[in-house]
Amino acid sequence: MWEIIKTSLPQLLAAGFKYTIPLTIISFFFGLIIALVTALIRLSRQRGAFMILKWIASFYVWLFRSTPLLVQLFIVFFGLPYLRIKGVLPHGIKLEPFTAGIITFSLNTGAYASETIRAAISSVPTGQWEAGAAIGMTRLQILWRIILPQALRVALPPLSNSFISLVKDTSLAASITIMEMIAAENYQPLLMYTLVAMVYAVFTTVLSYFQGYLERVVDRQVNANNR
Amino acid sequence: MKLTNINKSFGNKNVLKNTTLEFPAGKTTVMVGPSGSGKSTILRSLNLLVMPESGQYEFDDHHLDFSQKVSNKDKLAIRQETGMVFQDYNLFPNKTVLGNIIEGPTQVLKQPKKEAIANAHNLLAKVDLADYGEAYPNELSGGQAQRVAIARALAMSPKYILLDEPTSALDPELELSVLKVLLQLAEEKQSMVIVTHNMVFAKHVADKIIFVENGEILYDGTPDEFFAPDNPNKRIKNFIASMTMENLK
Repeated sequence: MWEIIKTSLPQLLAAGFKYTIPLTIISFFFGLIIALVTALIRLSRQRGAFMILKWIASFYVWLFRSTPLLVQLFIVFFGLPYLRIKGVLPHGIKLEPFTAGIITFSLNTGAYASETIRAAISSVPTGQWEAGAAIGMTRLQILWRIILPQALRVALPPLSNSFISLVKDTSLAASITIMEMIAAENYQPLLMYTLVAMVYAVFTTVLSYFQGYLERVVDRQVNANNR
Repeated sequence: MKLTNINKSFGNKNVLKNTTLEFPAGKTTVMVGPSGSGKSTILRSLNLLVMPESGQYEFDDHHLDFSQKVSNKDKLAIRQETGMVFQDYNLFPNKTVLGNIIEGPTQVLKQPKKEAIANAHNLLAKVDLADYGEAYPNELSGGQAQRVAIARALAMSPKYILLDEPTSALDPELELSVLKVLLQLAEEKQSMVIVTHNMVFAKHVADKIIFVENGEILYDGTPDEFFAPDNPNKRIKNFIASMTMENLK
């Protein structure tokens, strides 16, 4: 048994550092950007043609929250090559597995995180917007300097949750041929998968500690316990 | 500063009906009246936190017609030139006292940070909070927080300061600390518009009194006449009596 562990563990860790971690971090980064933009569009009070954007944003969130991540991965990786449009896309959209993974995980995380961010922004009292407006700040200045720092404090724990979920969800990438940890060669299923589970547990535990640290830093800076 | 024939409704309730009012520069105008009468709506129209549906607004070089769309540029300019103090302070909890005060000068007026900080220290001394620059809003008492809010408004060197029930959330002892600061500002001829329920203070500080009820102006004149025991307006006499608790006897 120790032989197998001794030979497999380095492979697993290598796969983790080569695929799982980059896939998670890059996807979460893009997911957050998508989430922020989506949340702001949905919160905006603009009317007119802007309503189309709001509708698209709501549709996107609905779509990605109401379908399984695995199916989304399959559509992006296996399905898009068949999206052939004469003259425009004669060969469909063929993506590298890693790219397809990043796109799907980013969009999926973005949909969930946008709801977190939307709720966090809404939780900041309107008085804060008014106080910023009263000294002549633009809406963008108020959002960036007053509202988002306070919303971050509220959003951080649920966002950390999304992040940890994402670490584990990236195991689904194995199904689109990304050789991440779960795709490791495998003649001893019980032993190997237990080992894989342990490596995931170590990754997420380390990340949870980091989350706690981040919350303390933000707490100190944002100090949002009350006005 | 002058509002002419302004109208404002929330839902189907007409809060202001053809209201015309003047707020003289260098003076303290106090607005009184029962809750929900429209005082705060008038005050918030002055810095455009509330947009009336019709009427005119003249303030220095600004001439606004509320039936047209007010440009963003006018909005920002007018807000820069008017400071606002809210009932529940609305300090930025993510910034220190100093950070709260220099936010407007550095971000809006683009003052150099050094200059803004030096000015902020002077203002903090003025509101008797010289040692509180590094404190966060949640470490302050209500009276201290409101004085920081006043300093934050003053930091923009506004032409007018608008105060929306600035002491309603404070107990009497803390209230006094805020009122003293306002009295000092009045003595310095800072133009102010104050909405308050405190009749003693109103009598003391006002150059001009406006009494609002149900969106209508029932009195617009000097405090002497307003508080005179022989004020012929029964409604006003009753209001003053109940606010000063004479009715208890």
